[in-house]
Amino acid sequence: MPGRLGGRACVPAGTGMRRRNIAAAVGLIVCGLVYGYLAWGLPVRSLPNTPGPSFFPLVVTAILIALAAALLVQALATNDSAGTPTPDDAGTSAVDRRFGIFALAVLLGYIALLPILGFVLATAPFFAVLMVIYGERRPLLVVAGAVIMTVILYGLFRHAFGIFLPRGLLAGIVA
Amino acid sequence: MSPDVLAGLVQATGFLTLTATAIGALIGLIVGMIPGLTISTGIIVLLPATFTLPPDISIALLLGVYVGGMTGGSFSAVLLNIPGTPSAAATGIDGYPMAQRGEAGRALGISITASFLGGLFSFLCLYFIAPTLADFALLFRSQDMFALVFFGLTVICSFAARSLIKGLLSGAIGLAIVTVGQDPVMGTARFTFGNSDILGGVHFLTAMIGLFAVPQLIDNLTDQTGRHVRRQTQLTSVLTRLSDLKAIQRSVGVGSVIGAFLGVLPGAGGPIAAFISYDYARKSSKTPEAFGHGSPEGIAAPEAANNAVTGAALIPMMTLGIPGDPVTAILIGALIIHGLAPGPLLFVQRGDFAYGMIFSFLWANILNFVIALAALRLLVKALATPRALLMPTIAVLCVIGSYSLRNNIFDVYVMLVFGVIGLAMRWLDMPVVPLLLALVLGEQLEKQLRVALTSSTGDIAIFFTSPISLTFLSLSALSIAWSLYSARRFAISRRKESST
Repeated sequence: MPGRLGGRACVPAGTGMRRRNIAAAVGLIVCGLVYGYLAWGLPVRSLPNTPGPSFFPLVVTAILIALAAALLVQALATNDSAGTPTPDDAGTSAVDRRFGIFALAVLLGYIALLPILGFVLATAPFFAVLMVIYGERRPLLVVAGAVIMTVILYGLFRHAFGIFLPRGLLAGIVA
Repeated sequence: MSPDVLAGLVQATGFLTLTATAIGALIGLIVGMIPGLTISTGIIVLLPATFTLPPDISIALLLGVYVGGMTGGSFSAVLLNIPGTPSAAATGIDGYPMAQRGEAGRALGISITASFLGGLFSFLCLYFIAPTLADFALLFRSQDMFALVFFGLTVICSFAARSLIKGLLSGAIGLAIVTVGQDPVMGTARFTFGNSDILGGVHFLTAMIGLFAVPQLIDNLTDQTGRHVRRQTQLTSVLTRLSDLKAIQRSVGVGSVIGAFLGVLPGAGGPIAAFISYDYARKSSKTPEAFGHGSPEGIAAPEAANNAVTGAALIPMMTLGIPGDPVTAILIGALIIHGLAPGPLLFVQRGDFAYGMIFSFLWANILNFVIALAALRLLVKALATPRALLMPTIAVLCVIGSYSLRNNIFDVYVMLVFGVIGLAMRWLDMPVVPLLLALVLGEQLEKQLRVALTSSTGDIAIFFTSPISLTFLSLSALSIAWSLYSARRFAISRRKESST
């Protein structure tokens, strides 16, 4: 099937994918070893000749490490002497990555503040920031959109669907 | 008519269930047509809203979204040449040229009609095959179930990725994650580090939200696709002409059969079915030269195929508990949340519900057809929804969805972690679907493996002496071998191309 790769050709040369694959393989081997070590230390609670709680994790460890090693060998065997990122990787993607990391940081901040401030107080500024990130620059629309959507979502999930959302500082004020 | 069938029909035809199906279809049409939103994301963000609803209504709503989403994807493919869903990519090849000729209404009408007919065909497959398959699956013992789940996983790992190793790695990572929490046989806490939040394991819906929705939110930050395209909503009549119906009957048949066949196979899914059907319809057409220039057959074949996939994908999900694609994996999650376990016992213990689901699928197709035709002019205006409003809404819905599973902020952090994992996997060109399905099937895999080995006191010959188990294990080996063979062939053809 076109596009289905599995051998050496699956590592597109000159795109930096080789380096990514090597990094991923090494990372996964390390993770596999740590996981296997932890699995080895699991309590043994089983009858003789029957698999205990550590059996399956140890099988997965073996599979994980074997596959990661295969990926490493495959990547090392790939003839990609440059291994340097193309403009696509280094140029546009760098900007994309910065945007992405910022958005994830905003999301992390929102999650951290959610139980403290409550849904309404945390969501409105989060929504506003995301609106700006996604390209809306008109202040009135940003504020109105953020407030209205927060109220709608809260009302919908809390009252129509009966889902308890964190009330935080507004506990006792909002229903 | 058996009492279960009758009860199912009554359940699916109740006013509230029908209303939920219609609302689901409407939401699905909108979600499907908006580029940047997948059906999976649409269902995921809608899921929390179903937690408090009765299971029959919840599933009817989600089935409506599934069916509507498949049809809706073709709207933007036809009008903007931007497929709303990957499954609609083939529809745009002929739909867009037809729309450019000023026949957007005709193209959409053909697309909606073909979707409906493909969906009906898959309903028939579901109705007649599912109960029989469920009866057969009741004969399965633990070694057979293990082999079946293993087969489902290897097929998906083999076919979901451009690289077999990465597909398998993705599945292995999922299996490692699924071992966190209590072990499924003895209840021993594993990898919890004394944290009670992890004792219940990673809820796969939380993981799914992270894996699918977060990368999509990040993608939409910089993706300009469709951002400046507004709408081409000057639609002429959308009712399919009799001459078009005659012209598309063969391609609808081809698409329906191919879609239903591929839909049953785990991992194949709508996009592959749509392209194979398109190709086959072109090759078997009397006017293959018209393909690519606005041929009605070129629109009908992929649309019939991707909608035929939907009902067929429900067959292994309902009868074996094996999801064929992310959407059916989410539906399994929805069923589990409502205390129902998909698998052969569903038909035995809750036959009324199982048949209700099948009839809800039928209604979803009918209502989707009616709504799509009746409200098309209004629906296409959704294409102009500002991304600055849509994406933050989805972000908040993801948080609500993760939180409301257990009313626990820890799950929201887990969702974020999986979002980062999803982004990392994308960066590595590693598919997330095998990981997701490993999360869904991993517990079952471990449980059946351990039960089988316990019953044989550790003798692995048990997997090779049972004909069912042996068949599935052989098929697993075959799928991996086929994947390797395809890769080899592709590598050779690439080398030939580069040398010439």
